[in-house]
Amino acid sequence: MTFRQFVFNNVLRNKRLYVAYFLSSLFTVMVFFTFAMFAFHPALSGADIHFSALYGMSVAGGIIYVFSFFFVLYSMSSFLQSRKREFGLLMTLGASSRQIRRMVFLENMIIGFFATVGGILLGLIFAKLILLIAENVLIISETLYFYVPVLAIIITFVSFIVLFLCISFFVSVVLRTKKLTDLIKGNKKWKGEPKASFALGIIAALLLLAGYGVALYVKGMEVLFAMVPVIIVVVIGTYLLFTQLSVYVIRRLKGNRHLFFRKTNMLLFSDLAFRMKDNARTFFLVTIISTVAFSAIGTLYGFHSYLTRGIKDLNPFSYTYFSFIDDSDERIEKDVQRINAILQEENIKADMERIEMTYYHMEASDTPVLIVKASDYNRFARLNDEKEVSPDKNEAVVVNVSARMMGSSSGNSSLIDQPILLQNGVEIKPSETIESELLPEIKGYYIVHDDAFAELGDPLNSSSFFAFKVVEGEKESVMDAGRKMMEQTEYRAQAIDYMVYEIDKAYGPVLFIGLFIGIVFFVSAGSFLYFRLYSDLDDDKYKFQSITKIGLTVGELKKVVNRQTAILFFAPIIVALIHGAVALTALSRFFDYNITEEALFVLGGFAVIQIVYFFIAKLFYVKQIKETVYR
Amino acid sequence: MLQLKNVSKIYEGKVAYRALTDINLEIETGEFVAIMGPSGSGKTTLLNIISTIDEPTTGEVYIDGKNPHTLSKNKLAKFRRQELGFVFQDFNLLHTLTVEENIVLPLTLDGEKVKEMERKVKQIAEKLGISAILNKRTYEISGGQAQRTAIARAMIHDPKLLLADEPTGNLDSKASKDVMNMLAAINEREKTSLLMVTHDPQAASYADRVVFIRDGKLHSEIYRGESRQTFFQKIIDMLSLMGGDGNDLSSIRV
Repeated sequence: MTFRQFVFNNVLRNKRLYVAYFLSSLFTVMVFFTFAMFAFHPALSGADIHFSALYGMSVAGGIIYVFSFFFVLYSMSSFLQSRKREFGLLMTLGASSRQIRRMVFLENMIIGFFATVGGILLGLIFAKLILLIAENVLIISETLYFYVPVLAIIITFVSFIVLFLCISFFVSVVLRTKKLTDLIKGNKKWKGEPKASFALGIIAALLLLAGYGVALYVKGMEVLFAMVPVIIVVVIGTYLLFTQLSVYVIRRLKGNRHLFFRKTNMLLFSDLAFRMKDNARTFFLVTIISTVAFSAIGTLYGFHSYLTRGIKDLNPFSYTYFSFIDDSDERIEKDVQRINAILQEENIKADMERIEMTYYHMEASDTPVLIVKASDYNRFARLNDEKEVSPDKNEAVVVNVSARMMGSSSGNSSLIDQPILLQNGVEIKPSETIESELLPEIKGYYIVHDDAFAELGDPLNSSSFFAFKVVEGEKESVMDAGRKMMEQTEYRAQAIDYMVYEIDKAYGPVLFIGLFIGIVFFVSAGSFLYFRLYSDLDDDKYKFQSITKIGLTVGELKKVVNRQTAILFFAPIIVALIHGAVALTALSRFFDYNITEEALFVLGGFAVIQIVYFFIAKLFYVKQIKETVYR
Repeated sequence: MLQLKNVSKIYEGKVAYRALTDINLEIETGEFVAIMGPSGSGKTTLLNIISTIDEPTTGEVYIDGKNPHTLSKNKLAKFRRQELGFVFQDFNLLHTLTVEENIVLPLTLDGEKVKEMERKVKQIAEKLGISAILNKRTYEISGGQAQRTAIARAMIHDPKLLLADEPTGNLDSKASKDVMNMLAAINEREKTSLLMVTHDPQAASYADRVVFIRDGKLHSEIYRGESRQTFFQKIIDMLSLMGGDGNDLSSIRV
């Protein structure tokens, strides 16, 4: 048996020990590869793909690579920790520390090689799966078809072999062989509770509050300027939260004997305090990564709905036709005939209303203001099943676009203060303000009584507006008809469904990649947690074995493990959810558009996934412990 | 107090192994019994069966008239922490807890009142001379102190039967003496029945009776007379008799 054979066999015959480290490496490679595969997708590298998207992707690729590096390094070091005893034994038998380093180096390269190859293969399958999902959920115009990514394979292979080479080299140098007795005693040594200072705990709370406060206070463009400082403050605050405040809180809890000495609490808290040093680091990483994932997906989803729902809300009708000011009557007639012909062709039944939109000069306004008569408005209201209005003869109703669309600052609030002067000298006072999107006028307008309207005189200018509401028709033909009429009327006609479709199509790949990056980050956070959980498995097995000898029921064991796992899984995610909620609120202030629903949907979705993940992980963990403890 | 009826244990496996054969043993309330025997004789198996950690293949165990092996898993766990006390060779203390927390653990799991727990800890720590180290962690104390902590944990809920597995196995001679004196005193004062498995004839000489087993069978037993010194001598003699091979002797004679 040569030394190399010994190392090789040591890995191959000791699979159980290496499997956790191998799997986390494999997983990291897979994530990177899948990402590279999309980044180098021929459909995306075309000339017309947005430069910013490409830039964003290379940044994301870099971040993934850096995280991979730390993740592999972290897995490696805790893997080596658990093998101290083995090294001790080898050195007792006379292995030199050079040989041990060489062994670690070789082992790491073997694992790294197989993890890279396996990760690429798995990544191919994973990518196919993601594409299948994406095709069903999103409209991807430049169809992201499945391909054999030679470039991505080469890049992934080379980057990860280099990464493993670096880490193997790095670790084998760092692996200082201490005293033999220390090695043989191995992991029994106590790692020490991290020190917590009350002052730093307070600072953590203050930093977080300040960051949140600023993020929630700023509006509009200020958000951009505040973003970087707030992120820095919140990141530092989060770090201190986990390393200081949490330790401090656990100490205080331990100090309260009525709580600490109650049933299984003692086991739970003492373990928490004992592992806080490792946990704090993991919690911090997981929180930051998850926050990035939440914010990225929330932003893209929110922005998407800002575009599509914005249009939908502004256009309550299926089709509209809005003539230009200097269009001749013949042209308008011809266009409307064409639209009706298209509708007939596509077998669509639609109700139609028309209105002459008349604009008048107002004293206090620079631009002409739209004034419509109540009967005209009510016809449109009936078409869309909305509330009709009936102003008195000397009254006017001001109509603004709903606040949700325009944010709080917009709308023409000054209209309500301006009286309308009729030709017969009567002054009409605006009496109330309503919100409506029935007519395409975002600056606000008046509705007056029909009799008063007759006394307004000649308008400054006017244009025709037609609205069509589809009563019956297939979804696809509605869409096709929309496309045809938009093209044939030189875009005087607008078809809401077709416009949304167009946006979805243009936005699809960006949304997909954003979603993908978010998922990758979230899944990496999950694997961090999983790794943390399993590096404590042996300790937990020993601990529960000891207590079971004294007498611990299965129920009590489950209770302790459940809570322990729950804290590990939910503490960082809850903080990340709060971070994400604040970030998305700030974002909605930036766009001046309310995305509460979208944010709730995204954050809630992640919370549900995390809960499912928790139950699965917990189930296996409890099973593993029960198997050793109650044989 | 403790009654074993025809207890046998067979470990199933590729090669079935008979660890214990028809063991019959009875221990009176307040009695201190040591079990001795060479390595592999089945001492620890026997103790594990009595302590309900392991189950006998055939035969019955009665503790205070009850057969704990018929209990469900959960009831068994409660039985162990209420009726039995354990002292192990490797102390079996949790290193995430302080000495005091380790001692009260059985009471904590049973949901005892905090005041009551504190009172009991104070009392027992004084008896065992570990009051000064109550707030220390397990890696900050010596082996003797660790074993006394373990004894305190085993005794804090006033168990009916105290089981000790090589309690002096990891200790030096001074600490061994202290621990044995302590166990003997507890047995004397509290009238707690005590069953100890040991290799150490010195430790065994503190018992009222020593039972010897060999190859999974009861070999013999000797009672302590007036003097511990002569008892110790008797134990040594018995051990050398057991260790020697009968055939060797006869072949020399011929």
